[in-house]
Amino acid sequence: MITRADALVILLACGLVAGTYAWLWSPGAPATQVRVISGNEEVARLPLDEAQQLEITGPAGITVVEIADGAARCAASPGTQGICQSAGWLKRAGDMAVSLPNRVIIEVLGDETEFDSMNY
Amino acid sequence: MSRGMLRKVTAALIIAVATAMMVGCERPEIHRDRFIAFGTIVELNIYTADRELARTAAETVQADLDYMHGAWHAWEPGAMGRTNQLLATGMEFSANPSVLPLIIEAQRLSEATEGLFNPALGQLFALWGFQSDAPQGPPPADEEIQAILDQDPTMDDVHIDGIRMRSSNTAVRLDLGAYAKGYGLHQAMEHLKELGVEHAILNAGGDLRAIGRPGNRPWRIGVRSPEAQGVIAAIETQGDEAVFTSGDYERFFMHEGERYHHILDPRTGHPARGTRSVTVIHQDAAKADVASTALFIAGADDWPRIAARLGIEKVMLIDDAGVVYMTPAMEKRVRFESEPKEQIITPLPDDSLETASVSPPA
Repeated sequence: MITRADALVILLACGLVAGTYAWLWSPGAPATQVRVISGNEEVARLPLDEAQQLEITGPAGITVVEIADGAARCAASPGTQGICQSAGWLKRAGDMAVSLPNRVIIEVLGDETEFDSMNY
Repeated sequence: MSRGMLRKVTAALIIAVATAMMVGCERPEIHRDRFIAFGTIVELNIYTADRELARTAAETVQADLDYMHGAWHAWEPGAMGRTNQLLATGMEFSANPSVLPLIIEAQRLSEATEGLFNPALGQLFALWGFQSDAPQGPPPADEEIQAILDQDPTMDDVHIDGIRMRSSNTAVRLDLGAYAKGYGLHQAMEHLKELGVEHAILNAGGDLRAIGRPGNRPWRIGVRSPEAQGVIAAIETQGDEAVFTSGDYERFFMHEGERYHHILDPRTGHPARGTRSVTVIHQDAAKADVASTALFIAGADDWPRIAARLGIEKVMLIDDAGVVYMTPAMEKRVRFESEPKEQIITPLPDDSLETASVSPPA
Protein backbone atom coordinates (compact mmCIF):
# COMPACT_ATOMS: atom_id res chain seq x y z
CA MET A 1 0.00 0.00 0.00
CA ILE A 2 1.51 3.36 -1.06
CA THR A 3 0.94 6.13 1.43
CA ARG A 4 0.90 9.86 0.66
CA ALA A 5 4.39 10.09 2.07
CA ASP A 6 5.56 7.34 -0.33
CA ALA A 7 4.00 9.15 -3.26
CA LEU A 8 5.69 12.38 -2.20
CA VAL A 9 9.09 10.64 -2.02
CA ILE A 10 8.58 9.08 -5.48
CA LEU A 11 7.55 12.47 -6.89
CA LEU A 12 10.58 14.15 -5.38
CA ALA A 13 12.80 11.36 -6.68
CA CYS A 14 11.45 11.76 -10.22
CA GLY A 15 11.93 15.50 -10.02
CA LEU A 16 15.46 15.10 -8.75
CA VAL A 17 16.36 12.66 -11.51
CA ALA A 18 14.82 14.91 -14.17
CA GLY A 19 16.59 17.95 -12.77
CA THR A 20 19.92 16.16 -12.60
CA TYR A 21 19.47 14.89 -16.18
CA ALA A 22 18.76 18.38 -17.44
CA TRP A 23 21.71 19.77 -15.50
CA LEU A 24 24.18 17.17 -16.72
CA TRP A 25 22.96 16.38 -20.22
CA SER A 26 21.58 19.55 -21.74
CA PRO A 27 23.39 20.81 -24.87
CA GLY A 28 26.01 23.49 -24.38
CA ALA A 29 26.11 27.12 -25.35
CA PRO A 30 27.00 28.34 -28.85
CA ALA A 31 30.61 28.99 -29.89
CA THR A 32 32.26 31.65 -27.80
CA GLN A 33 35.98 30.94 -27.89
CA VAL A 34 38.94 30.76 -30.19
CA ARG A 35 41.77 28.34 -29.54
CA VAL A 36 45.23 28.88 -30.98
CA ILE A 37 47.63 25.94 -31.30
CA SER A 38 51.29 26.47 -32.12
CA GLY A 39 53.67 23.57 -32.58
CA ASN A 40 50.91 21.25 -31.35
CA GLU A 41 50.67 23.11 -28.02
CA GLU A 42 47.68 25.23 -27.07
CA VAL A 43 49.07 28.75 -26.61
CA ALA A 44 45.85 30.74 -26.25
CA ARG A 45 42.14 30.25 -25.60
CA LEU A 46 40.30 33.54 -25.78
CA PRO A 47 36.68 34.73 -25.75
CA LEU A 48 35.29 35.92 -29.06
CA ASP A 49 33.46 38.88 -27.51
CA GLU A 50 36.63 40.82 -26.64
CA ALA A 51 38.30 42.48 -29.61
CA GLN A 52 42.02 41.92 -29.57
CA GLN A 53 44.99 40.88 -31.61
CA LEU A 54 47.81 38.51 -30.79
CA GLU A 55 50.99 37.48 -32.49
CA ILE A 56 52.12 33.87 -32.56
CA THR A 57 55.75 33.21 -33.34
CA GLY A 58 56.37 29.98 -35.25
CA PRO A 59 59.22 28.42 -37.20
CA ALA A 60 58.42 30.46 -40.35
CA GLY A 61 57.68 33.81 -38.70
CA ILE A 62 54.72 35.54 -37.06
CA THR A 63 51.06 34.63 -37.47
CA VAL A 64 48.66 37.40 -36.45
CA VAL A 65 45.30 36.35 -34.96
CA GLU A 66 42.58 39.00 -34.85
CA ILE A 67 39.39 38.77 -32.79
CA ALA A 68 36.47 41.11 -33.47
CA ASP A 69 32.68 41.05 -33.55
CA GLY A 70 32.35 37.52 -32.23
CA ALA A 71 34.70 36.01 -34.79
CA ALA A 72 38.41 35.36 -35.26
CA ARG A 73 40.66 35.33 -38.29
CA CYS A 74 44.20 34.77 -39.43
CA ALA A 75 45.09 38.38 -40.27
CA ALA A 76 48.65 37.68 -41.39
CA SER A 77 50.92 34.67 -41.70
CA PRO A 78 54.23 33.91 -43.40
CA GLY A 79 52.86 31.31 -45.89
CA THR A 80 53.50 32.46 -49.46
CA GLN A 81 50.03 31.58 -50.76
CA GLY A 82 47.96 33.23 -48.03
CA ILE A 83 46.09 29.99 -47.31
CA CYS A 84 45.75 30.81 -43.61
CA GLN A 85 44.27 34.26 -44.35
CA SER A 86 41.98 32.89 -47.08
CA ALA A 87 39.94 31.01 -44.48
CA GLY A 88 38.43 34.43 -43.65
CA TRP A 89 36.51 35.17 -40.47
CA LEU A 90 35.88 32.08 -38.38
CA LYS A 91 32.36 32.29 -36.95
CA ARG A 92 30.80 28.86 -36.74
CA ALA A 93 32.01 26.32 -34.22
CA GLY A 94 34.50 24.05 -35.94
CA ASP A 95 35.74 26.68 -38.42
CA MET A 96 39.51 26.88 -38.59
CA ALA A 97 42.46 28.49 -40.30
CA VAL A 98 45.81 26.75 -40.58
CA SER A 99 49.32 27.88 -41.36
CA LEU A 100 51.26 24.72 -42.16
CA PRO A 101 54.62 26.47 -42.64
CA ASN A 102 54.25 28.20 -39.28
CA ARG A 103 52.55 25.18 -37.65
CA VAL A 104 49.70 27.31 -36.30
CA ILE A 105 46.06 26.22 -36.00
CA ILE A 106 43.33 28.77 -35.23
CA GLU A 107 39.95 27.21 -34.46
CA VAL A 108 36.63 28.48 -33.17
CA LEU A 109 35.22 26.36 -30.39
CA GLY A 110 31.64 25.50 -29.59
CA ASP A 111 29.63 22.60 -28.28
CA GLU A 112 27.20 22.42 -31.15
CA THR A 113 28.51 21.82 -34.65
CA GLU A 114 26.49 20.71 -37.63
CA PHE A 115 29.15 18.25 -38.71
CA ASP A 116 31.55 16.13 -36.70
CA SER A 117 34.21 16.35 -39.39
CA MET A 118 34.76 17.93 -42.79
CA ASN A 119 35.75 16.02 -45.92
CA TYR A 120 37.58 17.87 -48.71
CA MET B 1 11.38 4.26 13.88
CA SER B 2 8.06 3.38 12.26
CA ARG B 3 7.93 1.16 9.17
CA GLY B 4 6.69 4.04 7.02
CA MET B 5 9.45 6.33 8.18
CA LEU B 6 12.05 3.59 7.52
CA ARG B 7 10.83 3.26 3.92
CA LYS B 8 11.09 7.01 3.39
CA VAL B 9 14.59 7.19 4.78
CA THR B 10 15.67 4.23 2.63
CA ALA B 11 14.22 5.84 -0.48
CA ALA B 12 15.94 9.13 0.30
CA LEU B 13 19.26 7.32 0.76
CA ILE B 14 18.88 5.49 -2.57
CA ILE B 15 18.19 8.79 -4.32
CA ALA B 16 21.17 10.44 -2.66
CA VAL B 17 23.51 7.60 -3.64
CA ALA B 18 22.17 7.49 -7.22
CA THR B 19 22.60 11.25 -7.54
CA ALA B 20 26.14 11.06 -6.19
CA MET B 21 26.94 8.32 -8.71
CA MET B 22 25.55 10.35 -11.61
CA VAL B 23 27.57 13.36 -10.61
CA GLY B 24 30.71 11.28 -10.03
CA CYS B 25 30.56 9.45 -13.38
CA GLU B 26 31.93 11.18 -16.44
CA ARG B 27 29.41 11.11 -19.25
CA PRO B 28 30.60 10.09 -22.72
CA GLU B 29 31.41 13.04 -24.92
CA ILE B 30 33.30 13.85 -28.10
CA HIS B 31 36.94 14.69 -27.36
CA ARG B 32 38.42 16.65 -30.27
CA ASP B 33 42.12 17.16 -30.87
CA ARG B 34 43.72 18.97 -33.76
CA PHE B 35 47.40 18.90 -34.55
CA ILE B 36 49.80 19.00 -37.46
CA ALA B 37 51.19 15.64 -38.55
CA PHE B 38 51.75 13.74 -41.80
CA GLY B 39 52.43 17.12 -43.38
CA THR B 40 48.84 18.25 -42.87
CA ILE B 41 46.21 19.19 -40.31
CA VAL B 42 44.97 16.15 -38.41
CA GLU B 43 41.74 16.03 -36.43
CA LEU B 44 40.85 13.25 -34.03
CA ASN B 45 37.34 12.94 -32.60
CA ILE B 46 36.88 10.27 -29.96
CA TYR B 47 33.55 9.57 -28.27
CA THR B 48 34.26 8.20 -24.83
CA ALA B 49 33.76 8.81 -21.12
CA ASP B 50 37.44 8.06 -20.56
CA ARG B 51 39.31 11.36 -20.71
CA GLU B 52 42.66 9.64 -20.19
CA LEU B 53 42.02 7.27 -23.11
CA ALA B 54 41.26 10.24 -25.35
CA ARG B 55 44.50 11.94 -24.34
CA THR B 56 46.61 8.81 -24.80
CA ALA B 57 44.96 8.10 -28.15
CA ALA B 58 45.74 11.58 -29.47
CA GLU B 59 49.39 11.26 -28.47
CA THR B 60 49.59 7.79 -30.01
CA VAL B 61 48.06 8.88 -33.31
CA GLN B 62 50.37 11.86 -33.54
CA ALA B 63 53.42 9.69 -32.94
CA ASP B 64 52.22 7.05 -35.42
CA LEU B 65 51.55 9.58 -38.18
CA ASP B 66 54.82 11.41 -37.61
CA TYR B 67 56.71 8.13 -37.87
CA MET B 68 54.86 7.06 -41.01
CA HIS B 69 55.32 10.46 -42.63
CA GLY B 70 59.06 10.33 -42.05
CA ALA B 71 59.38 6.73 -43.24
CA TRP B 72 57.19 7.05 -46.33
CA HIS B 73 58.08 10.51 -47.61
CA ALA B 74 59.60 10.16 -51.06
CA TRP B 75 61.91 13.14 -50.80
CA GLU B 76 63.11 13.08 -47.21
CA PRO B 77 65.92 10.94 -45.84
CA GLY B 78 63.70 8.16 -44.51
CA ALA B 79 63.07 4.57 -45.58
CA MET B 80 61.25 5.55 -48.79
CA GLY B 81 63.86 8.13 -49.69
CA ARG B 82 66.56 5.49 -49.29
CA THR B 83 64.50 3.00 -51.31
CA ASN B 84 64.30 5.53 -54.14
CA GLN B 85 68.06 5.97 -54.10
CA LEU B 86 68.53 2.21 -54.37
CA LEU B 87 65.89 1.80 -57.09
CA ALA B 88 67.73 4.41 -59.15
CA THR B 89 70.84 2.20 -59.19
CA GLY B 90 69.03 -0.70 -60.88
CA MET B 91 70.79 -3.04 -58.44
CA GLU B 92 69.03 -5.58 -56.25
CA PHE B 93 68.71 -4.70 -52.55
CA SER B 94 66.86 -5.74 -49.38
CA ALA B 95 63.75 -3.63 -49.00
CA ASN B 96 63.05 -1.84 -45.75
CA PRO B 97 60.18 -3.65 -43.98
CA SER B 98 58.50 -0.34 -43.17
CA VAL B 99 57.88 0.38 -46.86
CA LEU B 100 57.70 -3.08 -48.46
CA PRO B 101 53.98 -3.77 -47.74
CA LEU B 102 53.05 -0.33 -49.10
CA ILE B 103 54.93 -0.90 -52.32
CA ILE B 104 53.44 -4.36 -52.86
CA GLU B 105 49.93 -3.00 -52.29
CA ALA B 106 50.63 0.01 -54.49
CA GLN B 107 51.59 -2.33 -57.33
CA ARG B 108 48.25 -4.13 -57.10
CA LEU B 109 46.30 -0.89 -56.97
CA SER B 110 48.24 0.61 -59.87
CA GLU B 111 47.29 -2.38 -61.99
CA ALA B 112 43.65 -2.19 -60.90
CA THR B 113 43.48 1.47 -61.96
CA GLU B 114 44.99 0.68 -65.37
CA GLY B 115 47.99 2.79 -64.39
CA LEU B 116 46.02 5.97 -63.60
CA PHE B 117 47.47 5.63 -60.11
CA ASN B 118 51.14 5.51 -60.97
CA PRO B 119 53.34 6.23 -57.93
CA ALA B 120 56.44 5.34 -59.98
CA LEU B 121 56.21 8.81 -61.54
CA GLY B 122 57.76 10.51 -58.53
CA GLN B 123 60.07 12.50 -60.78
CA LEU B 124 57.06 14.06 -62.49
CA PHE B 125 55.51 15.16 -59.17
CA ALA B 126 58.83 16.67 -58.15
CA LEU B 127 59.22 18.42 -61.52
CA TRP B 128 55.90 20.19 -60.92
CA GLY B 129 56.96 21.03 -57.35
CA PHE B 130 53.98 19.28 -55.78
CA GLN B 131 56.15 17.42 -53.30
CA SER B 132 56.53 20.67 -51.35
CA ASP B 133 54.04 22.13 -48.87
CA ALA B 134 53.68 25.28 -50.96
CA PRO B 135 54.04 24.63 -54.68
CA GLN B 136 54.97 27.83 -56.42
CA GLY B 137 54.99 27.19 -60.16
CA PRO B 138 55.53 28.10 -62.93
CA PRO B 139 54.61 24.87 -64.74
CA PRO B 140 57.60 22.96 -66.12
CA ALA B 141 58.48 23.01 -69.82
CA ASP B 142 56.73 20.44 -72.02
CA GLU B 143 60.12 19.02 -73.04
CA GLU B 144 60.98 18.26 -69.41
CA ILE B 145 57.63 16.54 -68.88
CA GLN B 146 57.96 14.51 -72.06
CA ALA B 147 61.48 13.44 -71.14
CA ILE B 148 60.11 11.73 -68.02
CA LEU B 149 57.09 10.23 -69.81
CA ASP B 150 59.37 8.82 -72.52
CA GLN B 151 61.18 6.77 -69.88
CA ASP B 152 57.76 5.32 -68.93
CA PRO B 153 58.37 4.44 -65.26
CA THR B 154 55.60 2.19 -63.92
CA MET B 155 55.06 -0.09 -60.94
CA ASP B 156 55.66 -3.06 -63.25
CA ASP B 157 59.30 -1.96 -63.35
CA VAL B 158 59.65 -2.72 -59.65
CA HIS B 159 60.51 -6.39 -59.16
CA ILE B 160 60.02 -7.90 -55.72
CA ASP B 161 61.09 -11.36 -54.63
CA GLY B 162 60.54 -11.84 -50.93
CA ILE B 163 62.32 -8.90 -49.37
CA ARG B 164 64.64 -8.41 -52.36
CA MET B 165 63.78 -5.55 -54.68
CA ARG B 166 65.15 -3.93 -57.79
CA SER B 167 63.97 -1.67 -60.58
CA SER B 168 64.42 -2.49 -64.26
CA ASN B 169 63.83 1.20 -65.03
CA THR B 170 66.17 3.65 -63.34
CA ALA B 171 63.62 6.44 -63.90
CA VAL B 172 61.37 4.93 -61.21
CA ARG B 173 60.95 7.21 -58.18
CA LEU B 174 58.22 6.13 -55.80
CA ASP B 175 55.96 8.87 -54.46
CA LEU B 176 53.06 7.33 -52.59
CA GLY B 177 51.39 10.64 -51.85
CA ALA B 178 48.07 9.50 -53.34
CA TYR B 179 48.03 6.39 -51.21
CA ALA B 180 50.16 6.70 -48.08
CA LYS B 181 47.68 8.90 -46.23
CA GLY B 182 44.93 6.33 -46.64
CA TYR B 183 47.24 3.52 -45.63
CA GLY B 184 48.44 5.57 -42.66
CA LEU B 185 44.91 6.40 -41.50
CA HIS B 186 44.03 2.72 -41.67
CA GLN B 187 47.05 1.73 -39.59
CA ALA B 188 46.61 4.54 -37.06
CA MET B 189 42.94 3.69 -36.54
CA GLU B 190 43.81 0.02 -36.06
CA HIS B 191 46.21 1.13 -33.34
CA LEU B 192 43.46 3.20 -31.70
CA LYS B 193 41.16 0.18 -31.70
CA GLU B 194 43.88 -1.84 -29.97
CA LEU B 195 44.00 0.88 -27.29
CA GLY B 196 40.28 0.39 -26.70
CA VAL B 197 38.84 3.22 -28.80
CA GLU B 198 35.47 2.18 -30.23
CA HIS B 199 33.99 5.39 -31.61
CA ALA B 200 36.21 7.83 -33.47
CA ILE B 201 36.91 9.84 -36.60
CA LEU B 202 40.50 10.31 -37.70
CA ASN B 203 40.74 13.06 -40.32
CA ALA B 204 44.01 13.94 -42.04
CA GLY B 205 43.87 16.86 -44.44
CA GLY B 206 40.17 16.37 -45.11
CA ASP B 207 40.23 12.61 -45.67
CA LEU B 208 38.97 10.42 -42.89
CA ARG B 209 38.22 7.04 -41.45
CA ALA B 210 35.39 6.65 -38.95
CA ILE B 211 34.49 3.83 -36.57
CA GLY B 212 31.48 3.38 -34.32
CA ARG B 213 29.10 6.24 -33.55
CA PRO B 214 28.87 9.05 -30.99
CA GLY B 215 26.00 7.79 -28.82
CA ASN B 216 22.68 7.11 -30.50
CA ARG B 217 23.42 8.88 -33.79
CA PRO B 218 25.90 8.35 -36.63
CA TRP B 219 28.97 10.48 -37.27
CA ARG B 220 28.00 13.40 -39.51
CA ILE B 221 30.44 14.37 -42.27
CA GLY B 222 30.23 17.54 -44.34
CA VAL B 223 31.62 17.30 -47.89
CA ARG B 224 33.12 20.58 -48.97
CA SER B 225 31.88 22.15 -52.17
CA PRO B 226 34.57 22.40 -54.87
CA GLU B 227 33.12 25.78 -55.82
CA ALA B 228 33.40 27.56 -52.49
CA GLN B 229 34.09 27.18 -48.78
CA GLY B 230 30.58 25.84 -48.14
CA VAL B 231 29.29 22.30 -47.80
CA ILE B 232 27.79 20.60 -50.82
CA ALA B 233 26.60 17.43 -49.14
CA ALA B 234 26.30 15.57 -45.87
CA ILE B 235 27.18 11.94 -45.30
CA GLU B 236 26.38 9.86 -42.23
CA THR B 237 28.89 7.11 -41.69
CA GLN B 238 27.83 3.50 -41.15
CA GLY B 239 30.19 1.57 -38.91
CA ASP B 240 33.79 1.36 -40.08
CA GLU B 241 34.15 3.51 -43.18
CA ALA B 242 36.58 5.83 -44.91
CA VAL B 243 35.50 8.95 -46.80
CA PHE B 244 38.08 10.34 -49.21
CA THR B 245 37.86 13.26 -51.61
CA SER B 246 40.32 14.40 -54.26
CA GLY B 247 39.76 17.93 -55.50
CA ASP B 248 41.51 20.41 -57.74
CA TYR B 249 41.28 23.02 -54.95
CA GLU B 250 43.47 21.15 -52.46
CA ARG B 251 47.00 21.87 -53.62
CA PHE B 252 47.67 24.08 -56.59
CA PHE B 253 49.39 27.16 -57.90
CA MET B 254 48.17 29.87 -60.23
CA HIS B 255 50.16 30.88 -63.30
CA GLU B 256 49.02 33.48 -65.80
CA GLY B 257 45.45 33.10 -64.60
CA GLU B 258 45.36 29.32 -64.87
CA ARG B 259 45.09 26.91 -61.97
CA TYR B 260 47.60 24.04 -61.95
CA HIS B 261 46.54 21.44 -59.39
CA HIS B 262 48.42 18.47 -57.99
CA ILE B 263 46.47 15.56 -59.49
CA LEU B 264 48.64 14.72 -62.46
CA ASP B 265 47.44 12.56 -65.32
CA PRO B 266 50.23 10.01 -65.96
CA ARG B 267 49.19 9.82 -69.63
CA THR B 268 49.81 13.53 -70.30
CA GLY B 269 52.10 14.57 -67.48
CA HIS B 270 49.81 17.55 -66.81
CA PRO B 271 47.08 18.18 -64.23
CA ALA B 272 43.99 16.12 -65.06
CA ARG B 273 41.25 18.29 -66.56
CA GLY B 274 37.49 18.05 -66.63
CA THR B 275 36.94 17.02 -62.99
CA ARG B 276 36.56 19.25 -59.92
CA SER B 277 36.30 16.58 -57.25
CA VAL B 278 35.71 12.90 -56.55
CA THR B 279 34.37 11.56 -53.25
CA VAL B 280 34.57 7.88 -52.38
CA ILE B 281 33.19 5.89 -49.44
CA HIS B 282 34.80 2.52 -48.76
CA GLN B 283 35.74 0.42 -45.77
CA ASP B 284 39.41 0.36 -46.78
CA ALA B 285 40.98 3.82 -46.41
CA ALA B 286 44.03 2.99 -48.55
CA LYS B 287 41.90 1.87 -51.45
CA ALA B 288 39.57 4.86 -51.02
CA ASP B 289 42.61 7.16 -51.21
CA VAL B 290 43.86 5.63 -54.45
CA ALA B 291 40.35 5.45 -55.91
CA SER B 292 39.56 9.12 -55.36
CA THR B 293 42.73 10.10 -57.24
CA ALA B 294 42.39 7.54 -60.04
CA LEU B 295 38.70 8.30 -60.62
CA PHE B 296 39.47 12.03 -60.72
CA ILE B 297 41.96 11.33 -63.53
CA ALA B 298 39.60 8.88 -65.26
CA GLY B 299 37.01 11.65 -65.58
CA ALA B 300 33.31 11.58 -66.36
CA ASP B 301 33.57 8.99 -69.14
CA ASP B 302 35.81 6.34 -67.63
CA TRP B 303 35.28 6.48 -63.86
CA PRO B 304 32.60 3.73 -63.73
CA ARG B 305 34.93 1.19 -65.31
CA ILE B 306 37.83 1.98 -63.00
CA ALA B 307 35.56 2.07 -59.94
CA ALA B 308 34.22 -1.36 -60.82
CA ARG B 309 37.73 -2.73 -61.28
CA LEU B 310 38.63 -1.43 -57.82
CA GLY B 311 35.42 -2.75 -56.27
CA ILE B 312 34.39 0.77 -55.18
CA GLU B 313 30.60 1.05 -55.16
CA LYS B 314 30.09 4.50 -53.60
CA VAL B 315 31.41 7.28 -55.83
CA MET B 316 30.45 10.90 -56.45
CA LEU B 317 32.23 12.84 -59.21
CA ILE B 318 31.65 16.54 -59.87
CA ASP B 319 32.84 17.73 -63.27
CA ASP B 320 34.03 21.19 -64.19
CA ALA B 321 30.53 22.14 -65.37
CA GLY B 322 29.10 21.35 -61.92
CA VAL B 323 27.36 18.15 -63.04
CA VAL B 324 27.24 15.52 -60.30
CA TYR B 325 27.73 11.87 -61.28
CA MET B 326 26.95 9.23 -58.68
CA THR B 327 26.58 5.50 -58.32
CA PRO B 328 23.17 4.34 -57.05
CA ALA B 329 24.86 3.20 -53.81
CA MET B 330 26.31 6.69 -53.28
CA GLU B 331 23.00 8.38 -54.04
CA LYS B 332 21.48 6.57 -51.06
CA ARG B 333 24.20 7.93 -48.75
CA VAL B 334 24.42 11.59 -49.80
CA ARG B 335 22.13 14.40 -48.70
CA PHE B 336 22.77 17.59 -50.67
CA GLU B 337 22.90 20.84 -48.74
CA SER B 338 22.50 22.78 -51.96
CA GLU B 339 20.90 21.14 -54.97
CA PRO B 340 23.41 20.52 -57.82
CA LYS B 341 22.53 21.84 -61.26
CA GLU B 342 22.36 18.31 -62.68
CA GLN B 343 22.63 14.81 -61.26
CA ILE B 344 23.44 11.73 -63.30
CA ILE B 345 23.10 8.35 -61.61
CA THR B 346 25.45 5.86 -63.21
CA PRO B 347 25.45 2.16 -62.29
CA LEU B 348 28.80 0.43 -62.42
CA PRO B 349 29.37 -2.12 -65.19
CA ASP B 350 28.58 -5.52 -63.68
CA ASP B 351 30.99 -7.60 -65.70
CA SER B 352 34.11 -5.94 -64.33
CA LEU B 353 33.15 -5.67 -60.64
CA GLU B 354 35.97 -6.81 -58.41
CA THR B 355 38.04 -8.07 -61.32
CA ALA B 356 41.08 -6.83 -59.49
CA SER B 357 41.71 -8.68 -56.29
CA VAL B 358 43.03 -6.00 -53.97
CA SER B 359 43.16 -6.84 -50.32
CA PRO B 360 43.00 -4.29 -47.50
CA PRO B 361 46.27 -3.49 -45.77
CA ALA B 362 47.28 -5.86 -43.02
